[in-house]
Amino acid sequence: MTLIVSLSVAVIFGSAAYLMLKRDLIRVITGMILLGNAANLFIMAAGLREGRAPFVDSEFETSDPLVQAMTLTAIVISFGVATLVLSVVYRVYDSHHSVDLRRLGSAEAVQASLDDQPTAQEIKAEEAELREAEDQDVGTTPEVRA
Amino acid sequence: MIIALPLAILWFGALFIALLDGTRKPVGYAAVGLLLAALSATVVLGVDVYLNGPKEMAIAGWEAGVGIALRADLLGITFAVVSLIVLTTALWFEVSRDVKARIFPALVMFMGLGLTGLFFTGDAFNFYVFFEISMVAAYVLASYGESPRQLRAALIFIVVNLLGSVLFLIGIAAMYHNTGWLDMERIAVLTPLIDQNPAILTATIVFVAFSIKLGLFPFHFWLPAVYTGTRPAVAAILSGALANIGSYGLIRFGADIFPRELREGAWIMLVLGSISIIYGGVQAIARHSPNEVLAYSTIGQVGYILIALSIGGEAGYAAAILYAVINALNKALLFLSASLRGWIAGAAFAVGAFSVAGVPPAGGFFGKMALFQIAIDDDQPWIVALIFLGGALSFVYMFQLYRARFWVNQEADEATTKGALGLVTVLALVIVAIGVYPEPLLLLSQQAASILPERAP
Repeated sequence: MTLIVSLSVAVIFGSAAYLMLKRDLIRVITGMILLGNAANLFIMAAGLREGRAPFVDSEFETSDPLVQAMTLTAIVISFGVATLVLSVVYRVYDSHHSVDLRRLGSAEAVQASLDDQPTAQEIKAEEAELREAEDQDVGTTPEVRA
Repeated sequence: MIIALPLAILWFGALFIALLDGTRKPVGYAAVGLLLAALSATVVLGVDVYLNGPKEMAIAGWEAGVGIALRADLLGITFAVVSLIVLTTALWFEVSRDVKARIFPALVMFMGLGLTGLFFTGDAFNFYVFFEISMVAAYVLASYGESPRQLRAALIFIVVNLLGSVLFLIGIAAMYHNTGWLDMERIAVLTPLIDQNPAILTATIVFVAFSIKLGLFPFHFWLPAVYTGTRPAVAAILSGALANIGSYGLIRFGADIFPRELREGAWIMLVLGSISIIYGGVQAIARHSPNEVLAYSTIGQVGYILIALSIGGEAGYAAAILYAVINALNKALLFLSASLRGWIAGAAFAVGAFSVAGVPPAGGFFGKMALFQIAIDDDQPWIVALIFLGGALSFVYMFQLYRARFWVNQEADEATTKGALGLVTVLALVIVAIGVYPEPLLLLSQQAASILPERAP
């Protein structure tokens, strides 16, 4: 049983990692959801024990209720986060008309090159500095001549 | 009861604020007021804990040992106070200019709730739940502003940090499997009994999870992209408050729960910390946009915390706490003041820059001095050299940035309001005050660290 569970955790985690490395955002999100499920299965495996349903005052050996409670919480959290991510992906699609990471990357590169361009104010300020320096040169040279 | 008070204020306050339109000024100021109330409650609790020792309570009236425990000790309270200060300042800053999304004040409060909760909790799984509350708030905050660029940044942030969260969850499940407990104190008592291999694996998973949050060198790749795109208040929140999860987590889980594994992995942390310092510093010098420079500076600053942790011992942990606290304040001040204009903002930025470089009138000096001290006590001259080199690098990139922002380019990106200027001035004064009169903070960090190595073998 332990072997089967650990193998399935490994397979799910592996497929999730593979999907997350894809360029298509929908696959990345699928990978993230799978990853959450691999973690859930792992929590269940942490308390893997055969037994009856854990009621109070049970006379039989019971299974571990705590891991089930934890998994339930983790499922709810990963569900909420998945919804949030999907809405962000939708917003990204809305503003870029693409869910291809290559497209998003090139948009980022364009933005970065725009950032490196000096702004109009910076150019103006630099010109002003140059002019000041020239003025000073003009101001000093006659004295030297004199 | 008093432990739950800050949490209750933030919890009900956030729900209440979430129903209202956060773009209105009164709602924004109400949120600031609630955060201040939670901050004062935490400070009162901190004074109580300082005088009478740590407090503990079980949630919802369960017996101790069965219910989830809230545990307030000085380590958690120190981090909670710093995070709440940063959150309050950043929210106030944004409200004094213009809040762009109605949910913003409520999100900042939810993040405060998550952070305070995880600093106070004594239960590993509960830690994860609070951690996710603050992370989800951060996911939404990262897209605040909603320009295409901010959406892309939010996407990167979510994907990478979700990976970190899942790793952390797996780490907790592994801890539970190995010890049979979720209570952090009991786990800490039992970890020395675990076999070497599972213990090291679990410790490594937890270390990687927190390093992703902190933006440590090999896990830093998401950080510049996110910080460059976001607005200054959000960048201040992410680096001044959210990153505290990473430093607190490394100290709590490293020094408290896995002290043996921390000792064994010390050299790895030393190497990663050194690379972080140099990489962050060199990259920051090569960048131009202020948020990008500060983002790489964040990567560099984290390295110092890691080095302090790797040297270890009570003095090392105290230095790590001290450095983490001062670094959080520095980063909040720098991100906020770099977006303003005028000589007041320039002066405030200069204080932050001095503090990052570790020049005496600012608080950062004592963070660096504590590091120098432990490095000399540990007889490791090359760490002293490294810290000095890191300081020199930060001096260069900080003043490059200062020149570009406050000498050459005098026009503001956005409104420089009186309120915003007042806030950065107060934050700068706090950092100067720490530098002028550091005894309380030094004492606090030593007291907070003194609870850690008790259990170390």
